Amino acid sequence: MSRRPPRGEYIETDTGNKVARKATLVGTQNIMLGGKTVIQPDVMIRGDLTRTVHAAAPQPASQSATGAPPNNTAVSIGRYCFLSRGCCLRPPGRLYKGVFTYMPLRMGDHVFVGPGSVVQAASIGSHVHIGAQAVVGEFAIIKDYVRILDGAVVPPNMVIPSFSIVAGQPARLIGEVPEGGLEAFELRDLYKTVGNNPQPVPP
Amino acid sequence: MAALTPYTYIRCPCSDVSAPGRPLDGSSPMAAAADDNGAGDDDDRTFDPRAPRSNYSLYPLEYLLYCEDCHQIRCPRCVAEEIVSYYCPNCLFEVPSSNLKSEGNRCTRSCFQCPVCLGPLAVTSLETKPDPSLLAAPDNAAAPHAGPYALTCSYCHWTSAEVGIQFEKPNGIHAQLAKLRNGGATRLTAKERKERRKDPAYRTQAAAAPAPATAGGEEGGPSSSAEVLDLETQFANLKAFYQGQLADPNSADSGLAALSDLGFSSPTSLSRIMSIYTGGGWQDKKAKSRVGAMREALEPDEGLQPARLDESAAIDRLRSEGHGATASAAQLRDQPPNLGEAHLHGRARFASELRPIPYLLRTKRSKRCPVCRHIISKPEAKVQTTRFRIRLVAGSYIPSIAVRPLPLSSSSSSGSGGSASGPAVVPGALLEPLRPAHYLLTFKNPIFEPVRVTLGAPARTPGRFASKVTVLCPEFEIDANTDVWDEALKESGERDRDKDRRRRRGEEGGGQSSSNNPHHSQLEVGKIWERGRNWVSIVVEVVPASLRLAPGDPPLREDEDVLEIPMFVRVEWEGEAGGDDVGAAAGRDAAKEAREKRELAYWCVLGLGRIKQT
Amino acid sequence: MSSKRHSILPPVSQTGPKPPVNFSSTITIADSALLTGTHTITVHGESVIHPRARLDSLAGRVTVGRRCVVQERATLGAAAAVPAAAAAAPPAEAAAAVTLGDYVTVEVGAVVEAGGTVIGEGTVVGVGARVGAGAVVGKHCTLTAHTEIAAGEVVPDFTVVYSNGMRRTDKRGVAELKNKGLARQIDVLRRMIPSNPAKFA
Repeated sequence: MSRRPPRGEYIETDTGNKVARKATLVGTQNIMLGGKTVIQPDVMIRGDLTRTVHAAAPQPASQSATGAPPNNTAVSIGRYCFLSRGCCLRPPGRLYKGVFTYMPLRMGDHVFVGPGSVVQAASIGSHVHIGAQAVVGEFAIIKDYVRILDGAVVPPNMVIPSFSIVAGQPARLIGEVPEGGLEAFELRDLYKTVGNNPQPVPP
Repeated sequence: MAALTPYTYIRCPCSDVSAPGRPLDGSSPMAAAADDNGAGDDDDRTFDPRAPRSNYSLYPLEYLLYCEDCHQIRCPRCVAEEIVSYYCPNCLFEVPSSNLKSEGNRCTRSCFQCPVCLGPLAVTSLETKPDPSLLAAPDNAAAPHAGPYALTCSYCHWTSAEVGIQFEKPNGIHAQLAKLRNGGATRLTAKERKERRKDPAYRTQAAAAPAPATAGGEEGGPSSSAEVLDLETQFANLKAFYQGQLADPNSADSGLAALSDLGFSSPTSLSRIMSIYTGGGWQDKKAKSRVGAMREALEPDEGLQPARLDESAAIDRLRSEGHGATASAAQLRDQPPNLGEAHLHGRARFASELRPIPYLLRTKRSKRCPVCRHIISKPEAKVQTTRFRIRLVAGSYIPSIAVRPLPLSSSSSSGSGGSASGPAVVPGALLEPLRPAHYLLTFKNPIFEPVRVTLGAPARTPGRFASKVTVLCPEFEIDANTDVWDEALKESGERDRDKDRRRRRGEEGGGQSSSNNPHHSQLEVGKIWERGRNWVSIVVEVVPASLRLAPGDPPLREDEDVLEIPMFVRVEWEGEAGGDDVGAAAGRDAAKEAREKRELAYWCVLGLGRIKQT
Repeated sequence: MSSKRHSILPPVSQTGPKPPVNFSSTITIADSALLTGTHTITVHGESVIHPRARLDSLAGRVTVGRRCVVQERATLGAAAAVPAAAAAAPPAEAAAAVTLGDYVTVEVGAVVEAGGTVIGEGTVVGVGARVGAGAVVGKHCTLTAHTEIAAGEVVPDFTVVYSNGMRRTDKRGVAELKNKGLARQIDVLRRMIPSNPAKFA
């Protein structure tokens, strides 16, 4: 009937996610994408590092047949997120009650992860901008409207409150996001510039 | 020399308060005199972005707020800030402001920073695993570890056990830490100290100790007691001593109680000393007796602590342990005052004397206009919400300016004398001196009215190396920032709008429809480059100056090779008349709804890039 | 998100020659690990090699100790960043390019250059760290993220290298506990990562 459309660089799902073909997503059944999210080539998401200890009741037999209990999200990403080239999302793991287990990595909306970054945080809020080559340590908690500058190393267990600008090794608070800078975190326009049909960058 | 991305800074008029007759650099009067195109500058002088003062008044657009009553922009320097709430940046718990007076402005729960690297400290059990078994939230259910606890840094692996501090419980570390000194020694709290002083057994013991010492003179006393007072104890002792000194004479003679208010309270107060010399009738004898009764502290129990200036022990320790055992200046700066130890008197401080640093509290602040006292920015008091109750930012009122280089392959710029423009300007590259370059300025209109923008830029930039600047279209109109749907749905005025648009299109250098836009190959003076729904872009041509220095000239100062253009922007629009009068009587006739012409004018600085040094 | 595939893994192209391997029977090596080179790659008991880890034995043998963890995108045996320095270093240990002791963790994106580099037991090489050719890192060290060890440098035991090259000694005394913790972690990882050592044999 119709010719097969040429293979674009990105796979566009019906929820609007644009996932590059060259991205490495391991364990995709444990990765939740919110919609309108861009995943560029060379991105690596470890969805196979899931929780091993369940505090809830044991799952029924039929579900365990799939190999992994349902709702075992390892990485959950919100809407309009942008994962740049070469970045890596990895759930954080630690010894809990004597057993080593991984905890889910939760990301909010409008999160920009810069190229080459490694993110092992426990939770990232909305409207967060992570610069290039940044490292977010395990179990860090990043709140909303945070800007992490290029090359920052956020040590494990650090809490970054809202409206902060952090940089350095280890990451320290160096400034606050001004009230007029909240619109700069929106990634709707950036989403449109990527994909098989990129719109030009708006002026 | 690193190239820079183009930037736009706006000058807040709050720094204009000084008299117009202030002197400027030697260069700028020349620029002003040469070509001030009368764009309405009050001082009739060009703003010089290189003046040392202008650094403090230039801000990017995100940092500026706008007062709706004064119709003026406000910068972080001129707004008045008020604190809405305090919270700890680590546990995100709000601290009521009443606690601040008593506890100080640091977190009093279990949030501490590593003294070595300023990373977050986690409570770990010393007996079992090194991984943090407890987070900030009280999650003790998983803790079968009942061992002593210590604070561990997850980044540099410093532990409080290195300085000898251990805790019994994993919560309330701040309180436990207040009782501990480095090395495991304990420290008395204020309450315990007071009780001790009142305790008669302790008093006799203390009285007995200096008895043999007084015979030996002053030096024997403090050294024999061998008790080095820490700062807090010393202060408390001194305070109690002097309060006692004041209280005794006063209580003996209640009639003279009023005299203490006249300034006799302190032994050194001027009125007391003067009263020794001037005799004053009935006051004289009483004053003399009172002078005699007051004395300085003589013992450690009263607060006297002679400084131990013999540093040989510290020097020996430095020699044996090396440089790595000392604390760096940055680490010392971050330490809160250590009240549990004696005053250092400038001695070197060792790394084993560092203590965990409680987190400084952060604040949520609301900002007020300094002139009319209206609130222009107010966040919610709750720490978890990021919304604002009031948020009047300049970005919603004044047009934003975006600068990017305009690559032209081969075109003639009519404005600059017919010479072919240079090769395409690569973004981020250095500017070639003496070669014309073109930049595209995009003005985006945020308000719901069409605005008319007038630009004024001096023909030569101020500074030692004056580059030539030409704004090709200094006056233009930008459409209102209506939603795309609004415009499509509006029927009335559609034809008028079309006419306007066609007229304006005639102004463009060969442009066609308003939405898409073929690239022009020629630049014409007086014509804009491109127009969109609520934005307009125009071209600015610059001819960078040559950075050649004559022999004998002072060398290039920092950032002197950056090409900065001061530009005066005047924005005019028609707003609703008298917003405060809305809701008046029904007898208002339609004529009164006349639209009021509003205008806003400010200086801004466009930083285009660095000039290549030849 | 519905997914009929287990993972989106673009095929890994084997660019270099296939090296001779010497695996212990209890190791876990992911399918998409990249092993290239000409010399032997030895992985001792119960170690875990995550997907997309790269072990390169072009310059010499690569030896991974017992109970090590090599995370994704880590590179063992990379070419030296500054070739001149590597050439100047005496090639006495040319046969053993990279040696990892037991209980070593090499984190995401770390690079251990080839040329007689030795990483001592229990050391953690942080995210994006770079260990120069011929460096000898002691036991139970910690190299935090993005730290660099110059070529040929000797790092004493129990050193913590942090923020822009600062060094301090780790006095926690938790070496045993860390090893135990790593063993527990490996237990869990072995069940999570499907191992395929036969692919590389």
